[in-house]
Amino acid sequence: MEDEAAHVLLIEDNPGDADLVRLRLVESKSAVHVNCVPRLSDALACLDVETPALVLLDLNLPDSRGAETFRRIRQKAPNVPVVILSGQDDQALAMKAVQQGVQDYLVKGDVTSKQLERALRYAVERQGLLRSLEINRKQQLEFKNQFLSHVSHELRTPLTCIQQYVTLLLDGLAGPMAPDQTDHLKTVLKSVNQLHAMIRDLLEATRADSGKLHIEPRCIAIGELIEQAVAMMRPAAAEKRVGLEVGVDQTIPLVYADPDRALEVLINLIDNGIKFTPAEGSVVVKAAMVETDPAAVYLSVSDTGRGIPQEALPLVFERLYQDPNAVDGNRAGLGLGLFIAKEIVTLHGGRMWVASQQGSGSTFSFTLPIYSLAKLLVPVIVDKGRLRKAMVLVRVELTALPKSLRGSWRETCARCLELLRRCVYVDKDLVLPPMATSALVETFFVVASTDMERVNIMMDRIRGQVGALPQLKASGTLRVAAEPIPAPPAADPRTLEQQIWGVADCVTEIIQQGLWSGHNFSEKENQEHAH
Amino acid sequence: MLTESCKEGRPMNRAKIMVVDDDPDLRQALSLRLRANHFDTVNVCDGYSAIAMGQKEHPQLIILDLGLPAGDGFAVLKNLREYPALAGIPVIVLTARDPEANEKRTLEAGAVAFFQKPADNEELLGAIRACL
Repeated sequence: MEDEAAHVLLIEDNPGDADLVRLRLVESKSAVHVNCVPRLSDALACLDVETPALVLLDLNLPDSRGAETFRRIRQKAPNVPVVILSGQDDQALAMKAVQQGVQDYLVKGDVTSKQLERALRYAVERQGLLRSLEINRKQQLEFKNQFLSHVSHELRTPLTCIQQYVTLLLDGLAGPMAPDQTDHLKTVLKSVNQLHAMIRDLLEATRADSGKLHIEPRCIAIGELIEQAVAMMRPAAAEKRVGLEVGVDQTIPLVYADPDRALEVLINLIDNGIKFTPAEGSVVVKAAMVETDPAAVYLSVSDTGRGIPQEALPLVFERLYQDPNAVDGNRAGLGLGLFIAKEIVTLHGGRMWVASQQGSGSTFSFTLPIYSLAKLLVPVIVDKGRLRKAMVLVRVELTALPKSLRGSWRETCARCLELLRRCVYVDKDLVLPPMATSALVETFFVVASTDMERVNIMMDRIRGQVGALPQLKASGTLRVAAEPIPAPPAADPRTLEQQIWGVADCVTEIIQQGLWSGHNFSEKENQEHAH
Repeated sequence: MLTESCKEGRPMNRAKIMVVDDDPDLRQALSLRLRANHFDTVNVCDGYSAIAMGQKEHPQLIILDLGLPAGDGFAVLKNLREYPALAGIPVIVLTARDPEANEKRTLEAGAVAFFQKPADNEELLGAIRACL
């Protein structure tokens, strides 16, 4: 240990054992300062305040036992070396803890001061080494990701140049083209687009690797999203003379997912399906509920292609996997598409898998969570095991001016949502996930577990803060309104769960039916323009 | 055929667009496409010239790259705001940089739209027309 007195946190509930360890430490003449606590909770509190050079830990404490004790310490102070003090009878447990990252273990009553000193010194050194290895690994990963990100961006500039001049020629802006020349240029443009897709995939995979892939879940109608994906892929299917069909169960509930990302996954799977299906074959996209899993919607894309060999099935979601039998004309991408798709689904809390019969086709399936208003509402509408007395639904409507740009309008709406979240109380109010609505009108809803008086204050705050956003002032208008949610009767015979469902149904009804009578607000108060 | 001059046969009332990009080939291609779509163009290659030329030429719209010598795109956006004559000109950012890290920042700095290169020509033209 270092020359300065090292700080050791001794976590031991047996005073005799604690004294013995102290004694050994004094005998060893190491300059250590020992802080002894008898309980895990005390130890965690100590670790909040200061970081010791080392933790000496008895696994069995009054408030925690076994491996869990170490896990909690590790969670609190991942970089502090831990040495276990074990009894004669729990050495197996101590050994197991070593496998999980404990630096060493000493058997109580069997320790000489020399052993103790040596164990402590080595534990600190080993932990330092581990830590520098870990830092090194992270730096390498970061470097790799930065490198890939840099390269992908640098590739974009020459790619843009090719795309620009090819489209200039194709559009006849540099003089008329012969039909052959047009055909050749179209081939160039197709390759440019493939290259562009590869660069995009490379960046996405890099993001997934470094945990920077983001999703913004919304409440979406998955059937519409499937129709959109299918419409986008129809030309490709028609060109290959592959049928493209949809089978969506009409009773499918709303899904809680990022619409852009979910669309990306669907397009990826449909594109693969078309690519690996011969002419006259077909690709079918389905969405259905499964009785055993009511919290998710099951989506699948099936094709009548040649299928995937059994041994390749576990590999298809791996990075850089490519079908070794891909025939010419099916120019493969980077082999990142399915990896990214699976990452996206996993981020949503869903699963993705594949079933395939060689010679008769493959089915890629994935799940997305259904949108459960009741589940989202619980933390704000339930207080001490009961429903809160007053609840109000606040509607914040943003309408784009006709001239605003699609891209920046979406960005403006996202900023407004951010500001809106700052106008509410986290524990009492819930900003509902945005609905995928029309491109020009964005409506946000807030469930406020409070009375009209405080809602009025909240609405003023929303008008003041969201309405003051310069981007919104330039491109749209704001309207804020409120509607009380009918409270359940005082002597409600229903269970709490049923009552929550009742509130969720009620909120859904107000939203869907547009029951904005505005009887609490005059028209003047209802209409608040950003201008 | 592909010249940077934009003076030839200029009819009245054509909107003037300033293209700020340090890549001469891209500048030229974009300029050519804009002129084919009945816009006048002024091309500049760095952040300093963007402000200087902006004051001289008074474009109705600016297409701005982010990675530029002599004052990057963010500096240009900031500087534009400081000149009352330039502060009202809509700016469309066209860059190879990542939208995730840059889109929000450029819009907050005053740009009206963000496009990543390579951008779809029709979408870009649509955004330009919406600004004018």
